[in-house]
Amino acid sequence: MFQYVLRRGLWAIPTLLGVFTIIFLLTYLMPGDPVRAVMGEQYKRADPATIQRVRDSLGLNDPWLVQYGRFLVKTVSGDLGKSFVLDEQVTGIIGYRFPRTLQLMSAALLVAILIGIPSGILAARFQYTWIDHTLMLVALLGVAMPVFWQAVLAKIFLTQDTYGIALFPVAGYGGGSPLYLVLPALVLGTQLSATIARVMRSSLLEERRKDYSRTARSKGLGEPGVIFRHELRNAMIPVVTIIGLDIGYLLGGSVVTETVFNWPGLGRAVVTAISRRDAPVIIGTLVFGALLFVAVNILVDIFYAVINPQIRYA
Amino acid sequence: MSATTSTVGSVPRAVRYRRLRAFARHRLGLVGLVIIVVFTLIAFFAPQIAPYDPTTQRIATARLVPPSGEFWFGTDELGRDLFSRIVYGARISMRIGVIAEGIALLVGIALGAAAGFFGGWVDNLVMRIADVFFAIPGLLFLIVVVAIFGSSATTIFLALGLISWPGEARVMRSEVLRVREREYVVAAKALGLRDFGIILRHVMPNALASMIVIGSLGVAGAILSEATLSFLGLGIQEPLASWGTMINRGQQYIFNAWWYSVFPGAVIMIVVLGFNFLGDAVRDALAVEEGR
Repeated sequence: MFQYVLRRGLWAIPTLLGVFTIIFLLTYLMPGDPVRAVMGEQYKRADPATIQRVRDSLGLNDPWLVQYGRFLVKTVSGDLGKSFVLDEQVTGIIGYRFPRTLQLMSAALLVAILIGIPSGILAARFQYTWIDHTLMLVALLGVAMPVFWQAVLAKIFLTQDTYGIALFPVAGYGGGSPLYLVLPALVLGTQLSATIARVMRSSLLEERRKDYSRTARSKGLGEPGVIFRHELRNAMIPVVTIIGLDIGYLLGGSVVTETVFNWPGLGRAVVTAISRRDAPVIIGTLVFGALLFVAVNILVDIFYAVINPQIRYA
Repeated sequence: MSATTSTVGSVPRAVRYRRLRAFARHRLGLVGLVIIVVFTLIAFFAPQIAPYDPTTQRIATARLVPPSGEFWFGTDELGRDLFSRIVYGARISMRIGVIAEGIALLVGIALGAAAGFFGGWVDNLVMRIADVFFAIPGLLFLIVVVAIFGSSATTIFLALGLISWPGEARVMRSEVLRVREREYVVAAKALGLRDFGIILRHVMPNALASMIVIGSLGVAGAILSEATLSFLGLGIQEPLASWGTMINRGQQYIFNAWWYSVFPGAVIMIVVLGFNFLGDAVRDALAVEEGR
C-alpha cells in the first residue's frame, strides 16, 4: 500500500513539471512591463539607469533559460512572488483567501452530495417510473444551466421582493454568518448534484443486475437492505471518481459564484487581479489551482486503492 | 479498386441500421438534433430573423422596456432589442463552440490515434502531455490566456481547443486500442497498407460514433466556457452581443429588469441541452449495439 502511494506520488512530478513549464511560458508572454508595475508612480520620474537597475534586480535581463530555472526553483520552494498592487506576498493572499473559497466549495460539495446521492438511488430503485423520469429530467436541466445564470436567477428571485421573496442576503460574507453562505453554496452545488445523481443512478443500476444482488434479494432481504448493505458499496466507486474530477469544476465555478455573490475568496481575487494587471497573483493562483487539482487526484486514486485492492497491483 | 477498401467495410450494415433505429427511438436525442439544427439556422439567417438591428439604441424612448408584442424579450439599458441581440448572439456562441471543439477534436484525434496505434514511447509522451493539460484548471487557464492575448473570438476558441483536447485524445486512443488487434486491421497491415491509410480507412469509421458523442458534449462545454468568460467581462466585448456578455450587463438590473438576464441564460441552457441530448442519445445507441 505504502509503495502504491509513493509510486502514485512520484507520477505527479513530471505532470507538475509540465504544468509549471506552461505557466512559465504564459508569464514570459505576458504583455506590459513588469518594471512599470513594480515601480508604480516612480516609473515616470526615474531615469533609464535606475530602470535598468530594477530590471537587473528582477532578473529580466537574464537569458530565458535562467529565468525558467529560477521560476521552477522559486515555485517549488513555495515562493510565488509579491503582488504588484498590494504590498503582500502572493502566498499570503492565497493563505487568506483560500480558506473562504474552501468554505464555499465544501458547503457546495455537501449540498451536491446530499441532493445527488439520494436522487440517484431513488431514480435507480424506481427505474422507468415517473419518479425516475422526473428526477432525471431535472438533472438534465441542472447540468445544462450555467452556474452564473443560476446565481443571477437566485439573486432575482430569492434576495428581493420585487420579483420574488427576500429570503437571503443579496451578497457579501457577513462576517462568516452561515446565512450568507447558503445561497452561494446552493448555486455552486446544484449543478454538481445533477451530475452525481446521474452517475449514481447508472452505476447502481449496473450493480442491481449482478448475481450477488440477485442472491441477496432471493434470500428474502428487502430492497432497502439490498441497496444499502450490498449494492451501494460497489456503486459508489464511479461516484467518488466524479466527485474527484469535479473538484476542478468547483474551482472554476467558485470564480463565478464568488464574483456574483461578492464572496471574498480566491476566485474573486483572480478576477480583481486581472482588471489590475496584477500578474503574480494571477499566475500564483493558477499554480495553486493546478497543485490542488493534482493533489485531489492523487487522493482519489489512493482512496480507490483502499476500497478496491485489485487496483494496487494493476 | 476502391470498393474493397470502402470506409463502411468495417461497420456492418446491420449494426449501422440498429444504431440508427436506437437513435431514432431516443426521443430526447431527436429533440437535441432539432434544437441544434434550429440554432444553426438562427445563426445563419440572423439578419432575416431579427426584427431589429441588434445595435440600434433607443435611449430616449425604450429603455428597459419589459417583454411585449413590440419587443418580445424586452429591451436593455440602451433601448436595444434583446430578442434581436440574442439572435445575433447565436452567431458568436455557436461559432466559438463549434470551432473550439473542432480544434480539440482534430488535435485529440491525431494525437490519440498516434498514441494508440504506435504505442511505446509515442503513447507515453502523448499521454503525459495530456496529463499536464488535465491538471490545469480550465477556467483559470482561459482567463490568463485572454488576459495575455486579448479577448477576440479567435483567442477564445484557440485557447478552448488547446485546453480541451486531452479528453478527446484519451477516447480516440482507447478506440484505436479496441480495434488494433482485430483481423481486418492485421490483414490490412499484412497487405501493406500504410499506417495512415489504416487509421483513416479502418480505425476512424469505428471511432466515429464515439467522436460524435464526445464532440457533441464538447461543443456544449465550449459554449458554456465562452459564456462564463464573457459573463466575467473577460470575453466577447460590446457592442457585439454574446449571450454571456448580456447576462453580465443584465445582472446590474436584477431589481428592475428581470428579462435582461433571464432570456439570454435560458437560451444558453437550451442550446447546451440540445448538444447534451444528442451526445447522450448517440452514446445510448452505441450501448445497444454492444448489448449493454
